[in-house]
Amino acid sequence: MARYGMVTDLRMCVACHACTVACNAEWDVPAGQARTEVRTTPVAGTFPSLTSSVFVAQCNQCDRPPCVDACPSGATHRTASGIVSVDKKLCIGCGFCVDACPYDARHLDRVTKKVDKCDFCLSRIERGQEPVCVATCTAHAKYFGDLEDRGGIVSRMVYEDGARRIETGAVAVGPNVYYAGRPAQLDLVGATYPPRQPRMPASAAVWRRAFKPLMLAAIGATFLGQALAFFTQLKTGEKDFED
Amino acid sequence: MSTDTISRRQFLGTVAAAGASAAVVASPAEAAPHPPGWSGDERVEQIATICEMCFWRCGVLASVAGGKVVRLEGNPDHPLTRGRLCARGNAGTGLLYDPDRLKYPMLRTGKRGEGQFKRISWDEALDFLAAKLKAIKDAHGPEAAAFFPHGIGSRFFGTLMSAYGTPNSAEPSFAQCRGPRDVGYALTFGQALGSPEPVDLESSKLIVLIGSHLGENVFTSQITAFASGLRGGAKVIAVDPRFSTAAAKADWWLPIRPGTDIALLLAWMHVLIGENLYDRDYVTQHASGFDQLAAHVKAFTPEWAEGITELPAEQIRETARAMGAAKPAVAIHPGRHVTWYGDDTQRARAMAILTALLGSWGRRGGLFLPTPVSRGSFDLPSFPDSTRGRADGAGTRFPLASEELGVTNGLVDATLTGDPYPIKAWIVYGQNVLESIPQRERTLKAIEALDLMVVVDVLPVEQINYADLVLPEATYLERYDPPVIVTTAKQPFVSIRQPVCEPLHESKPGWWIAKQLASRMGLEAWFPWKTPDEHLDTIVGPMEINGRTLRSRGAVAFQGRPYIEDRTEDDGFIQTSSGKIQLYSEELKDAGADPLPRYTEVDPPPAGYVRLIYGRAPMHSFARSQNNEALHALMSENEVWLHTATASEHHVADGDRIVLENTDGGRSRPVRVKVTEGIRRDCAYLVHGFGQGGRVLRRAFGRGASDTSLMSRVKVDPLTGGTGMRVNFVRPIPAAPAT
Amino acid sequence: MKTSAIPLGPVPLTAEQAEGMLQHQVKKHYLTSILLHWFNAFVWLFELMTGAALITSPYFRIAPEWYLSIAQDVFGTRASMLRFHLAVGITWLLVFVVYGIFGFRAYLGREVLQSKLFLDADDRRWLVVRTLRILGRSCEPLPPQGIYNAGQKLFAQLVFAATPVILVTGLIMAFRLFGAWVIGWAVVAHFVAVAAVVSGLMIHVYMGAVFPEEKPAFFSMVTGTVNELFAYSHHFKWWRIVKQEEAEWEAAHDRLTPANRATP
Repeated sequence: MARYGMVTDLRMCVACHACTVACNAEWDVPAGQARTEVRTTPVAGTFPSLTSSVFVAQCNQCDRPPCVDACPSGATHRTASGIVSVDKKLCIGCGFCVDACPYDARHLDRVTKKVDKCDFCLSRIERGQEPVCVATCTAHAKYFGDLEDRGGIVSRMVYEDGARRIETGAVAVGPNVYYAGRPAQLDLVGATYPPRQPRMPASAAVWRRAFKPLMLAAIGATFLGQALAFFTQLKTGEKDFED
Repeated sequence: MSTDTISRRQFLGTVAAAGASAAVVASPAEAAPHPPGWSGDERVEQIATICEMCFWRCGVLASVAGGKVVRLEGNPDHPLTRGRLCARGNAGTGLLYDPDRLKYPMLRTGKRGEGQFKRISWDEALDFLAAKLKAIKDAHGPEAAAFFPHGIGSRFFGTLMSAYGTPNSAEPSFAQCRGPRDVGYALTFGQALGSPEPVDLESSKLIVLIGSHLGENVFTSQITAFASGLRGGAKVIAVDPRFSTAAAKADWWLPIRPGTDIALLLAWMHVLIGENLYDRDYVTQHASGFDQLAAHVKAFTPEWAEGITELPAEQIRETARAMGAAKPAVAIHPGRHVTWYGDDTQRARAMAILTALLGSWGRRGGLFLPTPVSRGSFDLPSFPDSTRGRADGAGTRFPLASEELGVTNGLVDATLTGDPYPIKAWIVYGQNVLESIPQRERTLKAIEALDLMVVVDVLPVEQINYADLVLPEATYLERYDPPVIVTTAKQPFVSIRQPVCEPLHESKPGWWIAKQLASRMGLEAWFPWKTPDEHLDTIVGPMEINGRTLRSRGAVAFQGRPYIEDRTEDDGFIQTSSGKIQLYSEELKDAGADPLPRYTEVDPPPAGYVRLIYGRAPMHSFARSQNNEALHALMSENEVWLHTATASEHHVADGDRIVLENTDGGRSRPVRVKVTEGIRRDCAYLVHGFGQGGRVLRRAFGRGASDTSLMSRVKVDPLTGGTGMRVNFVRPIPAAPAT
Repeated sequence: MKTSAIPLGPVPLTAEQAEGMLQHQVKKHYLTSILLHWFNAFVWLFELMTGAALITSPYFRIAPEWYLSIAQDVFGTRASMLRFHLAVGITWLLVFVVYGIFGFRAYLGREVLQSKLFLDADDRRWLVVRTLRILGRSCEPLPPQGIYNAGQKLFAQLVFAATPVILVTGLIMAFRLFGAWVIGWAVVAHFVAVAAVVSGLMIHVYMGAVFPEEKPAFFSMVTGTVNELFAYSHHFKWWRIVKQEEAEWEAAHDRLTPANRATP
């Protein structure tokens, strides 16, 4: 089965923003929100010894996505090809997944009130087309393909040319978006845009930590209580009760 | 993708309570993926055209459903851009459907500047204009009407104005942009560079950016080529007072003192010649004037240059040696906007000479050669000769200025002074005179002196408030323009702009407006074609291509001859009259100018001030895109870049809102400060195109600071008339609280 | 019987009295109540089955994996399962709205406002004694109960409190109302309310359907009546009110037709 991945070559990318505008146009994302974000690190160093790098952030289609665990309606799910997709028909807009994402790659669409994020243009790739960002990139800096296909470009960039993904020791959820660049540049973006710990809003935390165990206990207790009563009843016999 | 709008509509339409629950939660069966805004009923058609969000003219494929443009993408069949499209191109529907765009012809009712108009019909508008132009011709002669065009669509009007009898036409791309560059290279190699400039970035081993902030200045195919070059292992030298995106990728960043580029170039020449690193064979075979050049640069050592440029001599040497090692595959990007300090033609000359020394003119990885393409023309009557000649100084006051492109500021001067003769009318098409020409106050004063100001445009930019007549033109997506023939590509090609949808509101394409005026002015003879199709077929006739293919694919490419080895004796790669590359320019000598470039001192900033420099952002084009919803969301205002030390010296912090004041007391609108190490202490940087004064443009109005508004001074290049604009100095002062 | 003859508290009965009461049916539930009860039962069945299947995330889930896949297979897609869940839920809401508007005085008002669902001292004692008896720790007789015993009252209170919560939070989730913060808490409140009722349902279903002593109660939810002996022994205070009403009716009818007086 395919495992889709993307590589952005930060040496070529000039932060032209074509990808984010094309993506917004393709998927009707409201102005001011975006599925993919183009950034530039703050200039580091003192004049004239300076460094800076461009960076393009989007959903990493993680192997172990915290967002899937956080979704109460199951709208967010991982497809067989590794893409984390949101079934808009099931999304209730609670935003638990937004807090859960270590890369802040999701947002609540202010028009539909549902969660939106990059899904590697799933409906396009099913038709054999490329994701829109890859297709429009003026610097040809984005690559998309199957990481399982060892001859393919993304595999080569990842497994032979040292493209890296953004992970830390604390947050290693298996992202499938990689970045090519000079080692110092990759260090810089890794340090500037690290993933954060998945968060849960108070409501989800309260359910998970307090109410769910409590409720399961209550249901379990009442069930057991009735089971006990039932056994007592069986022992005593029905007729006696009627008498 | 969301189909919720449909389920919500169903919900609102439901009546029966019993059925309500089922209907409310129902949604249509999963539709095939479709473009946004498409309901699923209409067929999607794809039409090829070319973009006009800037002037690169990339290929665009418009997806149209039910007459509505639902998506714009790059056209894979475009020979240069090959399916890629930048942020602005992708946001083109934001212009098409901009609620603020000009919708109908308007006649001024209040005073100039008040922006009071009444709506009139096209007939009224065209009759009015034809009558006014006749009156001006009768009273003052046709030369009293000046034409300010920009864009390929202006050619129809250009024909009209020439037929009317005025030689006065000037677009900002010359005197405010590339003019001095093209003249400098033409003096050296015999031909102007044109646009896109024929710089072979993709095959280069060393890319030199001196006057280019490619990366923030985005041209789709040039970014692709730049990236290709990088991928191929090209190194980069970036000469820029600011740590630009390109500088961040460069192997060498030279944070040069503004205005001293010629010194650097001369020092490079010194090293190349002195250390025998130049392409000797090439120069011997193809160039003249080498000995004079060698003698000239002998004194211009890197140490000498260090004192001027504030760049370490070792760095100057190192970069020169790198060029020598990589030759001839050294791409010295000629820059685009080069009107900086008034010596810009000479600086272009220096860059051309350097190119020649490295043997990279006509060579792979350097500058390649344009391939001419034969184009058709109409059998038109000759344009009337002008008895009084041009008023803008092209060919006279500015001896080397292009008479085809004109000198905009020369026309402003003539209008203000009445010298050589009074200018009474300005016809402005697609040009934003208040934003593109520096010294706004002079421009406004000139407009006051006019009997007639007409603006033909798409958006209600500030200048319409001063116009007597405003005509709404259709956007690039709604109109036919003359085909674009690009010779400065490795594969020359012709591409077409054709309408993908009907013009909205009462907007009309430029060709229609020009033809209508022509018939009212008795100038029909110069518009013999009846339809755009006829016009197109005539122009592309000699190219022997299939018209159907051109219309369906949007572009057709031809065989190119980009390198010296492709050229024959008759089709030489050097087009100077001598047939040799003019390292030493006889022509300049004859014109009384320096035949070899010399460094001339620039004024340093007065105490407490820094030099205002400016540039581009990738999501905006000049002052055209700031009202676009998607692009505005990415960058709604500009910021002023100040070095950490400069900021603390003026007691401003990152994020503060300040006003910039120039040495003449002119002030900008409030603008946010960006404190950074990535700029020299003696500079402040703004992205051009913000701080606009057009109130109707709800998103663009008043956001950030206008660099143009701070340009009270210019240094005019005496050879071309180019307005050097980097000669203004500003300081930050606290912003007054908003009233 | 005459009003004065109605005992104030349960007294031992003679065999004939008991037999007579056993044969005599007393009306306990109106048709509307019965219909509403079973409508609720089915709604709860469908909603629990689909609701549990909709929650897949490990943080929130209560159903096991095999159940989730069976449920999805039944409906084809999870989206259609959700549509079904919402359709049933909104129908439930609409029925309550209609019931609330038209039936308030006759049914809802009578049930609630006449304190048939609030606990009194007997009820509270009953809860204690009943629990101890189940645990085998007491043989004390249970205090007399009204039409609904304390356990039934508590369950009713729970349902009356939980149902609006479930409906409102369901609407908030279905139509994404009031923003993510509210929706997030709506998710929690929805699950908590449902789980609470499910706990109560364990007892309610057992008591109603399985526990033999309460068999007449189960049948009363079908026929609408219970036998008088059951009423006397399990819901004495209600039996007493019924008897008083009977006596008053008889007294009124005696005054009207002295010739038809029936001697007890």
